[in-house]
Amino acid sequence: MDDATQALIAGIAADATPVRPINRMRGLAMVGLAFLLTEIVVLFALGARQGLMSGQVSVFFVVVNGLLLILGLSCIAAVVTMASPQVGANHDGPKWAMAMAGVLPLAGLLAATGAGVNGHLHVQGAHCMYLGLAASLLVGAALFVWLRRGAPVSPRLAGLYLGAGAGALGSVANGMACSDESIAHLGIWHVASVVIAALIGRYGVSRWLRW
Amino acid sequence: MTGDEETMARLMRAAQRGDRQAYAVLLEQAAKWLRRYFQKRTAREKLGDLVQEVLMAVHAKRATYDPSRPFYPWLAAIARYRWIDHLRAEYRVQEQELFDDIPGDENAEEVVMARISLDRLFAQLPPAQAAAIELVKIEGYSVAEASQRCGQSQSLVKVNVHRGLKKLAAIIEKAS
Repeated sequence: MDDATQALIAGIAADATPVRPINRMRGLAMVGLAFLLTEIVVLFALGARQGLMSGQVSVFFVVVNGLLLILGLSCIAAVVTMASPQVGANHDGPKWAMAMAGVLPLAGLLAATGAGVNGHLHVQGAHCMYLGLAASLLVGAALFVWLRRGAPVSPRLAGLYLGAGAGALGSVANGMACSDESIAHLGIWHVASVVIAALIGRYGVSRWLRW
Repeated sequence: MTGDEETMARLMRAAQRGDRQAYAVLLEQAAKWLRRYFQKRTAREKLGDLVQEVLMAVHAKRATYDPSRPFYPWLAAIARYRWIDHLRAEYRVQEQELFDDIPGDENAEEVVMARISLDRLFAQLPPAQAAAIELVKIEGYSVAEASQRCGQSQSLVKVNVHRGLKKLAAIIEKAS
């Protein structure tokens, strides 16, 4: 071994202070808390949608928010794991969840352009997109802090999952307050915030994840 | 000879608790392992710098090692990440001689080591991209020289280097 490397090792070893090893459960708890706080703020500010507490909700409400919740959870699980790199790790789960959720805007577009009873798409519904994005901020920030502490070796993918996960959970949080149950509204405006957040994560946030 | 998986994981756990002696031993063993890991895919004069960069990254990110998981795949992920950064950096080597292939120690961990090797990562590239990166980024030829050697046009060499590095960056954690 060369002298420079020996000297470096001696210097680094002398600086060996105790560190707390990364713990996935701590990361998941942090993000879970962020989501819970977001939900409380949303319900406090906007009020719970009618029928939420009594379970009187439409099938579309359950399907859309259920799929977005699964997408959000799978992305968060992947992001939390990506903070601790490992050759052999597989982060493909969220891709399948994204493909699954990708059916929603298609259904929304079909409904919006068709003559069915669910074919109502109002431009005013765009406020749900903005609210969904706003509701994704806290979860996104928690994931960002977690990844900055970690060592993600695929920053672009980590950024994409961060955005999609935060966007999906933000959309779900907002969904608890939204009273529009049409698939056109849910499939387009509630998913649009997820797509935008994912793009911001992939092309904006990812550059800050490099180390 | 470098430390086995169990020993290195134990040393790393001790290092995370602040044991300086264990940390020094771990870093020495890691440095030896990294030299072997990089030797076929890195120009000779860059090898020392690259090993040191990885050691500094290991130090900065030592908290990201999960004690419940194996050590070498963690180290290999960091090594690959730094190696790709290294390839991205513009440089041209004067000496193109690479280290000879030194056979590794045969032990029970050989299969694991093979799975996390740079060769395995490199093998996932299309041959044209691998050749372009090998010639330009590792052996240090100019784009024009690489073009003559591999029979690709100069613009194709550039495209293949760019696409190859992008793909490598996306598959750092892939084991096969």
